[in-house]
Amino acid sequence: MDSLHAIGFYASAAISLGGGLLVAFLPGRAGRGLALALSGLGIAGLYASLSADFAGLLALVCYAVCALLIAGPRYRIVDSPIGMPWRQAGAVAAAGLFAVLAYAAFRGDFVHAAYKGGEFGIAGIGRLLFVHDALATEAVGALVLVALVGAAAAWRVRDRAR
Amino acid sequence: MNAGLVSVLFVAVALVAVGAFVATWKRDLTAALAGLPLMFGGAGVAFAGAARFSAAGDPKIFGQEVAALLAVAALALVALGVGIAGRGTSR
Repeated sequence: MDSLHAIGFYASAAISLGGGLLVAFLPGRAGRGLALALSGLGIAGLYASLSADFAGLLALVCYAVCALLIAGPRYRIVDSPIGMPWRQAGAVAAAGLFAVLAYAAFRGDFVHAAYKGGEFGIAGIGRLLFVHDALATEAVGALVLVALVGAAAAWRVRDRAR
Repeated sequence: MNAGLVSVLFVAVALVAVGAFVATWKRDLTAALAGLPLMFGGAGVAFAGAARFSAAGDPKIFGQEVAALLAVAALALVALGVGIAGRGTSR
């Protein structure tokens, strides 16, 4: 990775992680949505700096829609019955997860391979999605279908209950 | 300045941990849903980094494919979660 890509990578990492922390600490739904969009922008930048341009473009669109859903008028509050001690324990567990995975990444012995890069990659990814890994693509398509049908059904049930 | 696979994995791990933190820290379960795309994004960054730096065999863009699928799956799960949470009170 050359210096320009490395600078883009670290800047995108800072944006994505900063956005993620803002999602955790901002109180309002609009602020959380904006922070999630910012984090999505950083993740898309990470993909782009890793020569995964098509995945970056797709992630940009998906995270923008996620941010709209989080910040939109359909948002409803569902309070959790879990108390503060358990939430604090979860935060400590997240920190422990980071420590364990970071140690594994640091101590890992990985294969180094050359990567030519430079292409957008949509044709190759399309061949992988629809020929090599068609079952995985169909599984994600089924997940999207079930999620959209479930969301539409839940919204309709709520509208009828009014 | 340079970035290798370990740097990529560190960022990916941090994204997964921040997503897990959001999912556990928020009292509002709908707000906690925002942790899912962060965790999926971290996993996708790890896959894309492995494809970029360490994919020895074919196909070399397998990690990019998984990253794209994870982004779509995150969107689907957030849509489903926001839809199911629609019975709560608006704020």
